[in-house]
Amino acid sequence: MSTVPDTVIGEPEPAPPGKRKRVTSIEVLTVLLALAIVGHEVLQQLLDVPALRTGATVFVAICVQALPFLVLGVLLSGVIAAFVPARLLERVLPRKQGAAVGVAGIAGVALPTCECAAVPVARRLMSQGVAPAAALTFLLAAPAVNPIVLVATAVAFPGEPAMVLARFAGSLATAVVMGVLWARFGKLEWIVERARRRLPETPRGDRWQVFTETARGDLVDAGGFLVLGALIAAAMGVLVPAGWFGVLGDQIVLGILVMAVLAVLLALCSEADAFVAASLSGLPLLPKLVFLVVGPAIDVKLFAMQAGTFGKSFALRFAPVSFVVAILCGVVAGVLLLGGLR
Amino acid sequence: MRRETANVLLILLGGALLKLAYTGDYLRYVKPVHQPWVIGGGTVMLLLGALAIWRDVRSGSSGQEGARHGHSHGHSHGGTSAWLLLVPVFAVLFVAPPALGADSVARSAGGAARVQANAAETAAFSPLPAGRAVPMPLTEFQARAGWDEDGTLEDRTVALTGFIAHRGDESYLARMVIGCCAADGYPVTVRLGGAGAEQASRLSDDEWVTVTGGLVPGSATEATEFVPELAVETVRVIDPPSDPYEY
Repeated sequence: MSTVPDTVIGEPEPAPPGKRKRVTSIEVLTVLLALAIVGHEVLQQLLDVPALRTGATVFVAICVQALPFLVLGVLLSGVIAAFVPARLLERVLPRKQGAAVGVAGIAGVALPTCECAAVPVARRLMSQGVAPAAALTFLLAAPAVNPIVLVATAVAFPGEPAMVLARFAGSLATAVVMGVLWARFGKLEWIVERARRRLPETPRGDRWQVFTETARGDLVDAGGFLVLGALIAAAMGVLVPAGWFGVLGDQIVLGILVMAVLAVLLALCSEADAFVAASLSGLPLLPKLVFLVVGPAIDVKLFAMQAGTFGKSFALRFAPVSFVVAILCGVVAGVLLLGGLR
Repeated sequence: MRRETANVLLILLGGALLKLAYTGDYLRYVKPVHQPWVIGGGTVMLLLGALAIWRDVRSGSSGQEGARHGHSHGHSHGGTSAWLLLVPVFAVLFVAPPALGADSVARSAGGAARVQANAAETAAFSPLPAGRAVPMPLTEFQARAGWDEDGTLEDRTVALTGFIAHRGDESYLARMVIGCCAADGYPVTVRLGGAGAEQASRLSDDEWVTVTGGLVPGSATEATEFVPELAVETVRVIDPPSDPYEY
């Protein structure tokens, strides 16, 4: 599977004129493809170990499931870049940052995107002049509180309508708290320059080109990081012992922590995580709720995409804080809405 | 990475998604309802790559990343991370990993029984249709075996389809259940006992079979983690179904 040798990662850009011509990426790609075509039986044999086979299946599954949603996200991002003038966003969003954060949270409810789609959209909102705090609130709210996710949660927990409400409250609170925290403490220079550069106003005739070029660029940008996250999540899916789930029935604090860590490591899609949580018998509702609140806020796949899109120094600060805030919001929502520690 | 390389990668990845949708192999990885998403995502990806190539060729640009409209800023887009797009392309086109099977069943052993969440809620089970050997999904069989108080399975013969998974000396009939994609899959198992168990024990892991038999009453309890036992009458080896999961 991962036969891409590390040495090609630092692949040189096309040589400047005058220098001797060096190997370009298109030639490397051709060679890699040729090798794979010739050697794919060897490749298959190498992967013919049960654990690797399972891991490969999980990896492809995450890609097949998430890539179409990423495509949806980059199309939205393209639409924003090409057809939504910055002036319009400035007019629609409240001038005060706090109010803008609230609006962004509500906007997340209305837009059924998954977490992979939200990353390019949030980035594009930022480059169209939306306050970063509001864009980041949208990033966290959109995958967690949209109607599709809430319906899936209701289906997975029949007879527990409070679970839907608690998930909604916990996730929305996470998004808004993170937005407020960013407005208060966040520094713009943590976000890499290219993500917040404002695009020039688009002349009418060029709009289709801006749309397709933005979508294409974002797809290439974020796609690689999605794949990286899928690789890590697939490895974790095979490596994390199933026994982790079994021993947690009685220890509520440990249960909450383990479920939060699992939500990060497994990187399930927010439409599906409710079914997984529901199927864990013998676990109280509160750790399950934390699992559902943490998962859409931060997981390995999202972390990789955030690092790729907004830069490492952003992701290294934003992701751990999201993790802690999501756990706290999940616990508070659970205690208030699920009737205590059950 | 050069712009053309990224374009070729997009076309390859889009093509790989479309191939999965066309051959039906996508069912190994995601639920059937994802098909339009896979087709749509693959098509858009392919078009974005093709459109960029067409524009570059038409404008005669040598096509370095970032040289184009709206994106013209010094360093290249996509960077080295875009190479990772090649991994799913290789995985789909050259490896084509199989559906989850006996290895996943073994992996979840020792974990708490993943009971169908709503099984306990479905208080009333409708009576089985008439006829010998009523075909039934494994999830339904497990739910009826564990929670049906009206005894709809009593003295009835059912036909269950799944793959063989061995655990120690025991043979199980298993099926993976997925909520969205294979990453969230978990197994449902039925212990194979009775006269036909001997035949099942000689089959290898991941072999697909249809077995008939009756529920051993009282076998799906908390002590057995709600894994019911089937008194097997017949075992018939079948081709793997195109849709390997239950939902």
